[in-house]
Amino acid sequence: MITFSRVSLIYPHSTTTVIEDLSFQIEEGEMVLVMGHTGAGKSSLLRLVNGLVPHHTGGILAGEITVAGNSTRTLRPGELAGVVGIVGQNPIDSFVADTVEEEIAFGMESLNYSPDVMRKRVEEVLDQVGLTQLRDRTIATLSGGEQQRVAIASALVMHPKVLLLDEPTSALDPIAAEEIFALLHRLVHDLSVTVLLAEHRLERVIGYVDRILLIEEDGRTAIGSPSEMLMQTELVPPIVRLSRALSLPEVGMSTREVRRQTEELRSSLPDYEPEQKPRGSIALSLVEKSVNYGEKVALNKVSLDLHYGHVAALMGRNGAGKSTLIKSFLEIAPGCGYVPQEPNDLLYHSSVEEECEQADRDNQLPQGSTLSLLTKTLPTIAPKTHPRDLSEGERLALVLSIVLVANPKILILDEPTRGLDYQAKSLLASQLRDLASAGTAILMATHDVELVADVADRTIFIADGDIVADGATIDVLLASPAFAPQVAKVMSPRRWLTVDHVMQAASQE
Amino acid sequence: MKRKLHPLTMWGFFTALAVGVIASDNSQTALAAIAISAFIVLARKESGPWGSSFRWSIIAALYLLIIRLITGIVIGVPRPGTEVFTLPRIHLPSWLPGIRIGGPVTLERLESALSEGLIIATVIIIFGTANSVTSPKKLLRTLPTFIHQLGTTLVIATSVFPQLITSIQRIKRAQYLRSGRKPSTLSVGIPLLEESLTRAVSLAESMESRGFGISKRTSRYRPIAFEALDLSVIGTGFGIALVMVLL
Repeated sequence: MITFSRVSLIYPHSTTTVIEDLSFQIEEGEMVLVMGHTGAGKSSLLRLVNGLVPHHTGGILAGEITVAGNSTRTLRPGELAGVVGIVGQNPIDSFVADTVEEEIAFGMESLNYSPDVMRKRVEEVLDQVGLTQLRDRTIATLSGGEQQRVAIASALVMHPKVLLLDEPTSALDPIAAEEIFALLHRLVHDLSVTVLLAEHRLERVIGYVDRILLIEEDGRTAIGSPSEMLMQTELVPPIVRLSRALSLPEVGMSTREVRRQTEELRSSLPDYEPEQKPRGSIALSLVEKSVNYGEKVALNKVSLDLHYGHVAALMGRNGAGKSTLIKSFLEIAPGCGYVPQEPNDLLYHSSVEEECEQADRDNQLPQGSTLSLLTKTLPTIAPKTHPRDLSEGERLALVLSIVLVANPKILILDEPTRGLDYQAKSLLASQLRDLASAGTAILMATHDVELVADVADRTIFIADGDIVADGATIDVLLASPAFAPQVAKVMSPRRWLTVDHVMQAASQE
Repeated sequence: MKRKLHPLTMWGFFTALAVGVIASDNSQTALAAIAISAFIVLARKESGPWGSSFRWSIIAALYLLIIRLITGIVIGVPRPGTEVFTLPRIHLPSWLPGIRIGGPVTLERLESALSEGLIIATVIIIFGTANSVTSPKKLLRTLPTFIHQLGTTLVIATSVFPQLITSIQRIKRAQYLRSGRKPSTLSVGIPLLEESLTRAVSLAESMESRGFGISKRTSRYRPIAFEALDLSVIGTGFGIALVMVLL
C-alpha cells in the first residue's frame, strides 16, 4: 500500500538530512507505529506519505514514494485526498467549519462531489465514528476526544486507503485515548484501512499495532514486529521494562500476555508496601472556591491544600476543571513558579543564552545562574540555539530552568509531558522528585498516568467541577481501572504501580 | 432535527425591525423591539462563541446610553421646560456660537437625550441579536457561487479571532508569573506570532490535504433553501416595522 524506496529528505536552509536512505513497505490493512525520539523526523515521515512534504513545506526529496500506486512526486496532497487522509495533533487548529456535519463535508465540497453522494457518505461516517448524536453541534463546544473523532471522520469520509495520524491522543485523557485507538482498531479490521501513526505514549498504543517503524537518533531506521523492535530501543513502555526487569522469556505487548507469564511471580513475591511520604506543612490553600463560565460551573466550592515537599497530581477528563483550578491557585500565589502548557509562551528571545540572561535580570541574580542551572540538567545544550529549534524536551528543560532559578517554594505545571519521549520524561520526573525532597510544593495537571505513578505522592481527581477523589497516588490510581498504570494492571491485585515497586518487592526475597 | 431557517432570514427580519425603530423614532417601539430581540435570543440562540454577542451588544448599548445621557446633560441646546437642576455654565469664546456647556437641565432635555440614546442602543442590540441567532459564517456561506471561494477564505480567516484573544490572555498570564512584571508588547507578540503562524500552517495543510482548491467547481453540502417559512418570517419583520411607523 505504501512503498518507500531509498527515500532521503533535506529541508531548505538545513545542513542535515531528516530522513536518509529509507526503504520500507506497508501492506494493506496494517497498523504501523512510527516511533523515535522527539525531533527524529516522525512528523516529516507521515507528511511525506501524502505529499505535504515537500509540496507544502519545501525541501529536497530523493527516492520514490508510492501510495496505492500513486507517486507523491507528481501529485499534490489535494489530488491524493481520496487516497490518503491525515489527522494532526491539534484537531482544533485544522478545522475549517462551524459544525460537525459541515466540517466533515468540507473535503467533498472542495472536490465537487454531488449532493446525494455527500449526504450518504456523511451519514455513513457519522455512524462509523459514533458522532450521530453530535452532528449539529458547534465544534468549539465539543470535548478534545470528540474533536479528534470529527477530524478522523473528516478524513474517513473521502474513503481513503491510508490514514495518517500524528500523535492523535497527546492532548487526550486516558479514556478518550482508549476510545480513539479502539476506533482505529475497528477501522483497520473492518475496512482494511492502512493506518500509519506517530505516538510517544507507547503504553496507550502498543497493544494495537502490527508493526513498528523505528527511527533512531543517528537517523537509521528499522521496521519489524513490536517485540522485535522494542528489543532494540531504550524508548519502551513500562510493560516492556517490566518484562526486561523480571527477565521474562518473551516481551509481552499486552497486559494479558504479561499477566500469563507472571502468574507464579505475582503470588510468590513478598509483601512490599511502597512507602508514602508524609505531607509537609500547608503551602497554599483554596477554600470553597467556585468559578462559573456563563451557565457552566467550572469549579463547585472546591477546597484544596497543597503541602511543602509533596508532589500532587491533578487528573481528570478534558474540561473537568483542571485548568480552572490551576488558574485559581495562580491567582492566590503570585510568587509561585509556573510552567504553562505551551512552554513557548514564556520564550521571546532569539537564543537560549539570551533567554537565560533575561531570567537572571528578572530575578536580580548574577549572570550565568540560569544557564548553569540548565546545563546541569542538559549538559549537551548549545547556548546559541534558537529556542524554537529545541526539541520539546529541551524546551521544557529551558523553561523549567527559567522558572526554577527564582527558587520558588511552590511550582505549578500544566500538562508538562505533551510531546515528550520517555527519556525526556524520566529527566523531568527525577527533577521533580529532587525538588520535592528539597521542600518545594508541586502541583501538576496531567493526563499521563505513568508519570503520575512515577512521581506523584498524592493524586487529585476532578470531574465536572468537583473533587471526586483525593488521596495517596497508589490508592487513587488503583481504585480506577481506566487510570491504572500498566504495571498495576499486570500485577493486580498486588498493590504496585511501577517497575521500581515490583523490583523493590523482588529484592526483599 | 430542528427546521433550519435560511441564514439570511433572521438578518432580514432584524434589518426590518431596525428600520422600523429608526423610522418611528419612538422610545416605546424601541423598548418593544428590545423585548422582541430578547425573546428570539432565548428561543434560538446558537451555541458557538458568536451566541454570546447578544450579551455583549447589551453591554455596549448600556455604555452608549450612559455616554449619550452625560453628553446630553453637559452639552446641548437649551430646551425650555421644567428645570430639574442647573450646572455651572462655562462661557465659550464668541467664535464658538451655538454650543453651550453647562446651564439649566430641564426634564425635556433629559427625556430627549434618553430617547435618542435608546434608539441607537436598540439598533445595536438588534444586530447583536441577529449575530447571536445566525452564525456570521453561515451568512458568508450563502454567497453566490462565483465568490464562494472568497467567502470560504473569509470564513476561515475570521474563525481565528476568538482563539487569538484566549491566546493573548494565556501568554500574558504566563509571562507575568515569570517576571512578576506586566509583560511588554514585544514579549507577548513574539510567542503569539509564532503560535498564529503554526496555526495558519496547520490549517493550510489540512485544507490542502483535503483537496481545497483542486477542483475548479465546488459543490454545497445540504444547502438550505429559502422557503415559505423564511419569507413569512421576513414578512412579519416588515409588518412589525410598518405597525411601529404607523403608531
